[in-house]
Amino acid sequence: MSRFDEIAIVATAQTPARRRYPDSEASLLLDLTNQLLAETRLPRSAVDFTIAGSCDYLSGLPFAFVSNVDGFGAWPPVYESHVEMDGAWALFEAWVRLQVGDIDVALIAGSGKSSPGTPREIFPLQTDPYYAAPLGLDPVSVAGLQARALLDAGLATERDFAAVVARSRRAALTNPNAQVAKDVSIEALLAEPYFASPLRKHDLPPISDGAAAVLIARGKRARELTDKPVWIRAIDHRIDSHHLGLRDLTDSPSTRLAARGVGVHAGPLDVAELCVRYSPEEIVLRRALELKDDTPVNPSGGPLSGHPVMATGLVRVIEVANRIRAGGARRGLAHAASGPALQQNLLCILEAA
Amino acid sequence: MSSLPSLAYTLEYPYTRTTGPVVGAFLTGLRDGRLLGIRCGRRVLCPPLEYDPETGASLAPDFVEVGPGGTLLSWTWIAEPTRKHPFQEPFAFALIRPDGADSAVCHAVKASGPEALRTGGRVRTQYRAERKGAITDLYFAPEAEAEAQYVPPGKGAVELTEHLISLTYSEPLAPHRERFAKGLLAGKFIGQRSPASGKVYLPSKGYDPIERVRMTERDDVVVADTGTVVAFTVITPVQYYGQKETEPYIRASILLDGADQPLGQQDIRTIPVAEFRTGLRVRAVWKSAAERSVLEVDNRWGGTGAVIERWEPTGEPDVPFEQIREHNW
Repeated sequence: MSRFDEIAIVATAQTPARRRYPDSEASLLLDLTNQLLAETRLPRSAVDFTIAGSCDYLSGLPFAFVSNVDGFGAWPPVYESHVEMDGAWALFEAWVRLQVGDIDVALIAGSGKSSPGTPREIFPLQTDPYYAAPLGLDPVSVAGLQARALLDAGLATERDFAAVVARSRRAALTNPNAQVAKDVSIEALLAEPYFASPLRKHDLPPISDGAAAVLIARGKRARELTDKPVWIRAIDHRIDSHHLGLRDLTDSPSTRLAARGVGVHAGPLDVAELCVRYSPEEIVLRRALELKDDTPVNPSGGPLSGHPVMATGLVRVIEVANRIRAGGARRGLAHAASGPALQQNLLCILEAA
Repeated sequence: MSSLPSLAYTLEYPYTRTTGPVVGAFLTGLRDGRLLGIRCGRRVLCPPLEYDPETGASLAPDFVEVGPGGTLLSWTWIAEPTRKHPFQEPFAFALIRPDGADSAVCHAVKASGPEALRTGGRVRTQYRAERKGAITDLYFAPEAEAEAQYVPPGKGAVELTEHLISLTYSEPLAPHRERFAKGLLAGKFIGQRSPASGKVYLPSKGYDPIERVRMTERDDVVVADTGTVVAFTVITPVQYYGQKETEPYIRASILLDGADQPLGQQDIRTIPVAEFRTGLRVRAVWKSAAERSVLEVDNRWGGTGAVIERWEPTGEPDVPFEQIREHNW
């Protein structure tokens, strides 16, 4: 018996990842909220807890997250929370909140519009404010350091990076929410110039606007709301040092810890959606998660095909849940990441009834 | 009618941080041309931390000079630097282990090209001519390309370090907000009437946040330019970074006739504070069409830009508080 109450995802919704969406994050969240409520036939008043993940620096306005609450419907007031993190961490908080046992239904969202600003100038602000942020040390550059560390350690080749990109962008051809989808050869990718060597531009995610949302419920209530609940069997998140000089960039100890926490290999794994924002990250994650070669990774195309920052991780959860609901998988792994070079990692095991 | 220009704005946070005994010593070292590590058990950490990364225990301020040489542990050649990077021409970010240290510094390497760099290669500290007691005082160069430098020591310890966060944003006005802005240019307040509740939002966000319905151009309505003061505040300006005001001024919320949402943040300069009150009936006196500007209208709070010359009392009797209680916030 688990120490935790059973909690399931009962409905999911996501917007396409787009280069530029011309209206507000709140308006995206409003559409997603309405979709989730319509699918479960729940009145808004039946949602006990709402929580969003977003980033004010992306929107460029202090307290932007407050206006996002509009998207959930400003009335009636409920327990409300926010994380300045990907929506996957909002899911974690909501899961913890439902464990308290006094409420049954929670609505979780992640949203981000990267189009107004310059992500490479914004994201250095997550790094150490004395030693790194003043250097403008951006995630692309750090991914370049991670990539070279993998090459030097003999753990990957540039061809391996390109193979991740080619496979992801080809997989995205069947994903209607993908922003970048194409059939491209490894050779063609390797012929491109370096951007942050040994990375090329295609090793980076696109810049996207978008949002995602899920509705979760405690056991009995979940079964009332859907005949296909997707159970959150385990969820855990861990973090590595924010000082890059103290990390071995070829490995992800925090992913290994979280993997033990959720018991990744306690059962067969039919699908894994990994938050691979830079192609080398897939190499690091596959090793840290000890995935078998035949485990399907990112059949959606993953973040390399669409990266609505602050929703990207929650989209991984949704992609796995949707595959389970569609009957294509029984047990799957969703991964979310935050910070440069996979600094923080969240894992979630989802399972059919 | 043609599109209005995209919004472009800059968000700035000028941080001044205290450095404390560990970071302060390190930054003082950089200003004076020395690279310092800190002892942590048998290891030396550079850059120095205030705590043992394994145990979290506080570290004594026991510093060791490391470098000036160092070894490249990893590097990436940045073909297109951002405005925030230490160099505006291509350069490398690298993990560098200074001689005598057991951890790596992540920093910039100025080099003639990526050919000058290899993992395991040697680099050397370099210092900016003008040093500010910040991590940016330092950079590295391949040993073969490094310059001999004389770095005169500064005075006192670095106790503060400054970091100006300055980000620029650009986005088009959302379609509903653009119609609102064009209305202002034409001397009209254009709101939106919720098809679900009938309430008129001004300026609208393109949706009804209570009933959760999107609104379209069909829901646009023109609202009167007369209304009632439902709330106000008298602001005495504090001289913070970026402040342009020097004298007390009034900011008022005005519920226009026909709207259900007050127009916030209205600038009142011509009605004396002593005569200003909730319930006061006012009318917008528009600037001439040629003088109107909506450059300050944004996608968030809206605002009315520079289209209104002033608000003046209509002379009508005040509206009793009971009738505007719902909007008095």
